[in-house]
Amino acid sequence: MLAWALQCFSHKAFQPLDHTMLGKSLSASTTTSQSKVASDELCILLIDENVQRAESISSALNNSRYRISHLASPSMSLLKQVNDIQPDIIVMDIESPSRDILESLQAISHFNPKPVVMFSSQQDTNMINQSIESGVSAYVVGDIDPVRVKPILDAAVARFREFQKLKNELTDTKQQLASRKTIDQAKRLLMKKKNISEDEAFHAMRKTAMDTGQKLDDVAKTLISLLTSL
Amino acid sequence: MIEPEKSTLTLGFIPLTDSAPLIVAKEMGFFSQWGLDVSLQKQNSWATLRDKLHAGLLDAAQMLAPMPLASTLGLGCVPTPVITPLVLSLNGNAITLSEKLHQEIISENKISHLTLPLAAYLLQKVIAKRKQQGRPKLQFATVFPYSCHFYQLRDWLASADISDKEVDIITIPPVNMVAHLQSGEIDGCCVGGPWNAKAVRAGTGLTALTSFDIWQDSPEKVLGLLESFFKVNPNTVIALTAALKQACIWLESIPNRFEAARLLSSVQYLDAEVDVIAPSLIGSCLTHISMPPRAIPSYNQFSRSHNNGSINVPEHVRGEWLMSQMNNAGQLTGIEVPDNLVKRVFRPDIYQQMRLVLEDQQVQFFRRSG
Repeated sequence: MLAWALQCFSHKAFQPLDHTMLGKSLSASTTTSQSKVASDELCILLIDENVQRAESISSALNNSRYRISHLASPSMSLLKQVNDIQPDIIVMDIESPSRDILESLQAISHFNPKPVVMFSSQQDTNMINQSIESGVSAYVVGDIDPVRVKPILDAAVARFREFQKLKNELTDTKQQLASRKTIDQAKRLLMKKKNISEDEAFHAMRKTAMDTGQKLDDVAKTLISLLTSL
Repeated sequence: MIEPEKSTLTLGFIPLTDSAPLIVAKEMGFFSQWGLDVSLQKQNSWATLRDKLHAGLLDAAQMLAPMPLASTLGLGCVPTPVITPLVLSLNGNAITLSEKLHQEIISENKISHLTLPLAAYLLQKVIAKRKQQGRPKLQFATVFPYSCHFYQLRDWLASADISDKEVDIITIPPVNMVAHLQSGEIDGCCVGGPWNAKAVRAGTGLTALTSFDIWQDSPEKVLGLLESFFKVNPNTVIALTAALKQACIWLESIPNRFEAARLLSSVQYLDAEVDVIAPSLIGSCLTHISMPPRAIPSYNQFSRSHNNGSINVPEHVRGEWLMSQMNNAGQLTGIEVPDNLVKRVFRPDIYQQMRLVLEDQQVQFFRRSG
């Protein structure tokens, strides 16, 4: 089976979602209830060669916030579909060869990570769960059960959001530390070069930043490269 | 004879020509000679094989040579110390181009036929033409981010100053590779056997060169297991390594290689025809449906002695080489690499222990048989 089939089981018209919605706080939304439902909707890319199982999962998710795009028979089109659909979650069989395609996707797309929920008909997934990077992907214990699929997806999304939040905070903190270091270094160079006080150096840099509409961090970088190259 | 602490083992493998040592050790009874009851579990993806090994669902596995390093560093996974006491094979990959790209190379370079191994600079005109016409970049595929396939493809392209920005390199599982060449979704791939031979037999591609043409005799597959498994089961690991080493030695003879092809072809292993498995095993590289094969004696290398020992020794220098490839590919950017990483992962000391046990066993065997 080489051809892939992309089907939308949702009754709603197929409409790719902006992936950034995943990170948006829903409580902050002040839109009407109708559009709130739309923005709350999560697009699932389901990779499963078992069409029957895919259909039963899909019908179990009727009237929920999840909308399923089903991709039977994995192929390169998988990459294309991930790009086009920008799914919020990927659900797949752990034994699928496509696992490696997604693995490389996670490695490449640092900017756009996605929760991957994998299911297995074997009973041993609990152990694998512990060895997978928490938050990036989640495992389903046992075979995927239409009754349990919604709470499982809810848990996966919540875990993933929490993980992304922590990761973003860490990146922000690291960046702040780095720019503070840069600013300090520029300040010291300027003090030495112009024989001025720390306050004067800082004010000079801040004025340049305001006058030129640059970030203080960028002014500091320019200063360092200028002063150290002289 | 040593007593294995754990004698019932599950080993993971991906159905490829170079999984021969595992299959031969099972089918020729080398595992059972060492008191091991081994079941081989076929896996469909390298990532799942890795996760099962990390979780202890597999006791050991055939792995891509860079994988134990990637696991220990935590590249794409939770850092999990994995070691290798044995190199299972050298070489074995090849770069196969789609028939369409083959024809494009001929017409753009205004030549009548190609000389193999193909020089990468012949791609330059194709790349330039595609750019000029606003067509998509050439799309190549390898099997895993942490694979020699990926580094070999990059090296081949780099030999003609083609950077990986001028082409796209993606990951596709070996089992889907030929279909993608056929459908035109990829223009070329670097993959192991039997997939190159399959593409040639199907008239789908041209095997432009083998990994032996790019890197002479580099480790391709290794035996991987958890460091913690070795700590608890040292004798099991030595017995396992000894059985696999015997299988590698058995595979040195060409007549045995053909028998191995028959074993591999069965449904529970590669589930493929002997005519696509046997060629690389007996040193023949199928090139194109209308061209003769090339002789590549080292196409699949499982065992051979050289001056300083055997190719199966997981020497540190092998690990350092792989680390440099990972680094060149930008995979170690921002990663803290411990000084002792290679020494921790590549374990020639276990190999040497196994060698002594194996020699001892052979001496006793000759004594017994008078």
